[in-house]
Amino acid sequence: MQPVTRTIDTPQGAAKWTRRQGALDALFRGTTTFFALFVLFLLGAVILALVVGALPALRHFGFGFLTSDAWNPVTEEFGALAPIYGTLVTSAIAMAVGVPIAFGIAVFLTELCPPWLKRPFGIAIELLAGVPSIIYGIWGLFVFAPFLQSTLQPFLVDTLGELPVIGALFAGPPLGIGVLTAGLILGIMVLPFITAIIRDVFETVPAILRESAYGLGATTWEVVWKIVLPYTKLGVIGGIMLGLGRALGETMAVTFVIGNAHRISASLLAPGTTISAALANEFTEAVGDLYVSSLIALGLVLFAITFIVLAISKLLLTRLQKRAGS
Amino acid sequence: MQLYARRRFINAAAMTISMLAAALGIIWLAAILWTLVSHGITAIDLRLFTQMTPPPGSDGGLLNAIFGSVVMTGIATLVAAPIGVLAGTYLAEYGRNGRLAEVVRFINDILLSAPSIIIGLFVYEVMVVPMRHFSAWAGAMALAIIVVPIVLRTTEDMLTLVPGSLREAAAALGTPKWRVVTMVSYRAAMQGMVTGVMLAIARISGETAPLLFTALNNQFWSTDLNAPMANLPVVIFHFALSPYEDWQRLALGGALIITVFVLALNIAARVLANLSTLKQ
Amino acid sequence: MHGYIDTKPRPASNGTKANGALAAAPKVKIEIKDLRFYYKDFEALKGISLPLYDKRVTAFIGPSGCGKSTLLRVLNRIYELYPDQRATGEVLVDGRNILDPREDVNLLRARIGMVFQKPTPFPMSIYDNIAFGIRLYERLSRPELDERVESALRRAALWNEVKDKLRQSGLSLSGGQQQRLCIARAIALKPEVLLLDEPASALDPISTAKIEELINELKSDYCIVIVTHNMQQAARTADYTAFMYLGELIEFNETTVMFTHPNKKQTEDYITGRFG
Repeated sequence: MQPVTRTIDTPQGAAKWTRRQGALDALFRGTTTFFALFVLFLLGAVILALVVGALPALRHFGFGFLTSDAWNPVTEEFGALAPIYGTLVTSAIAMAVGVPIAFGIAVFLTELCPPWLKRPFGIAIELLAGVPSIIYGIWGLFVFAPFLQSTLQPFLVDTLGELPVIGALFAGPPLGIGVLTAGLILGIMVLPFITAIIRDVFETVPAILRESAYGLGATTWEVVWKIVLPYTKLGVIGGIMLGLGRALGETMAVTFVIGNAHRISASLLAPGTTISAALANEFTEAVGDLYVSSLIALGLVLFAITFIVLAISKLLLTRLQKRAGS
Repeated sequence: MQLYARRRFINAAAMTISMLAAALGIIWLAAILWTLVSHGITAIDLRLFTQMTPPPGSDGGLLNAIFGSVVMTGIATLVAAPIGVLAGTYLAEYGRNGRLAEVVRFINDILLSAPSIIIGLFVYEVMVVPMRHFSAWAGAMALAIIVVPIVLRTTEDMLTLVPGSLREAAAALGTPKWRVVTMVSYRAAMQGMVTGVMLAIARISGETAPLLFTALNNQFWSTDLNAPMANLPVVIFHFALSPYEDWQRLALGGALIITVFVLALNIAARVLANLSTLKQ
Repeated sequence: MHGYIDTKPRPASNGTKANGALAAAPKVKIEIKDLRFYYKDFEALKGISLPLYDKRVTAFIGPSGCGKSTLLRVLNRIYELYPDQRATGEVLVDGRNILDPREDVNLLRARIGMVFQKPTPFPMSIYDNIAFGIRLYERLSRPELDERVESALRRAALWNEVKDKLRQSGLSLSGGQQQRLCIARAIALKPEVLLLDEPASALDPISTAKIEELINELKSDYCIVIVTHNMQQAARTADYTAFMYLGELIEFNETTVMFTHPNKKQTEDYITGRFG
């Protein structure tokens, strides 16, 4: 064996090594903890900044800010109802369109798709989920809105628009842009996103469960409806909520085609606005403290809504994960 | 056998609908890409990459916007990636299932999906208002806030995948924890972590909303980070909504550039991730 | 407790005479005293006392879950990576209690090397795998480091197989080579004790034979402790054997004695294959 040459083989050397490494350990641990705390701080700062910015408007209008649909920069009358309504309605349309299609695609991907197609198809869906939303907005503006104006919208006006009660939803001139168009674009945008989540969730079903159901002679549909779906209920709802969270806060896919009108119309064909569209369109041009503060208050409302939706989604998905893990 | 026939019929109907949904979804999405390519390709030429954004009604390119996007994306990544990596390291290597780690994980997931326009508002409040002007710095910070949760999440996921036996083996040599993490865990998770950063870059390179009232826009060539700076998404937004055909054409060209870039980055990230799983 | 009964090898059953190298009384390197170990509230080791001799190989045998790996993992305090695990009692290495919290756990592990059941090469080159541990404690010039890496690899009987591909990833080696790489990595730190946790159980017979051969060579320099579920392996490699069952030390003796004249019924049942 070689003679002792290392510093750590002497008591002093060992003590020095221990001190040095102990300090570096504490430093590294401290640094990572600091940045983990930074994430908490970040969210706290976002909430604080929004509240502080929104305070003048909330003080001025009180609770009425949420229930008024007034939006008049000249007289400085602001209410959040119209954008809130637009946000909720466009997201509802998006979900009504996106969820069933996403579900269908997920069923196709997990149960029907031939193996050779599975990977490319799945990857295509995931890639599309990464396409920036402004792309969807541009397509909506240049292609989809004119298309709707000349086809679907006149058709809706002539058929459903003639019916009592629901006719009001489809009244008015076919403008192309409007709440319905925005909702449909949103639906297309969240489609790949929700599809990818539902597919992942479906794949958490143990193969043995699926196989034993098929073994009993169940049809594919029965396996999906009676085995896969009940097993993954939480995850599917969680995934849909995640998609909803996206739709609610989405700016660019909506702003291009919603028409930016601060009013609540019964008709889905009429222009409207959403919180994010109002912010995108008006924020840089807003004059006067109350106007700016009202817009920030809108942002606060949006953040509160999405926070709740995302929190619920996260809780549901975590519960599914825990069950899949155990 | 009537029941059986009924079941078979329901199954056939449901499966047909499912296939139609798949076809519809794919056609729809293909239509979007097709529009983009067919319209955008006419706008792609050398001028796009060599000239500045034009005044209304005249020719020009997107050079200043491309430059601005690259600069702000780069700064955002350089600032945010280390933060995300270190915070993710805390979750995977120290906090694990502790109370603080659970809270941070939850909050991070909220930030991950928070509306990006809210991030824009936040940075406006804390940077633009005190500085009294829009700036590239503010834009970069807004993008950085979007990068942090993405990198944090992938870093944690990738470090969690590093086998515990590797950490044990390193510890058994008398390796201090900080060196176990930096020299063994990071090395083992490197490809996955790089993938996460690439996905984050892909995500912010198309983000428009957080830049609208932070970096704003600038019609001219500017390298001043303290001044408003042009960037592709905002230019596309303004130009597409304008009534001028030249501007609209440029918007479509810019949209095509962004999409191609984002898709390429996503594919590259995927290839890299596959390489790392093959090796293990 | 059972543990106290058999902690001294019996002069009466003097098996050492068969082996001239063992004639001199071996020096105790590690003295384990009334060691208890807990996973949360479960007591996995119930008061173990046992000496481990320098320049000898000691094998821990026993059925799965008997605590033999747990005992090994106390000796370098690797269990401390997991917050739910704790140990009480004393483990004296050269007379110093290493369970003392004031003892630097990293320096301890540098003195007490460990090799695991599954090979664990780090995701770096073969050279860097070996140099990794050396660099932790020493600043060496390039030629010095080269020399140390080479000598560790030679000592682990791996040099000839890898000398032309030191820059390749450690993961590119075969399972048996990876395990010898891990042994070389541990040796490079110049430890005094080598802990081997079923080092050959994931390997094919030829690789296993090479590892056992290596253990025989290395014991002239180290105190070696090996956990194995393979009785033949214990018989082939170990000078002393400890038989454990349900967290207790049932019997400890020279291997030749243990395998020919076990003192306890349980030991006999186990080594003759009647249970376990």
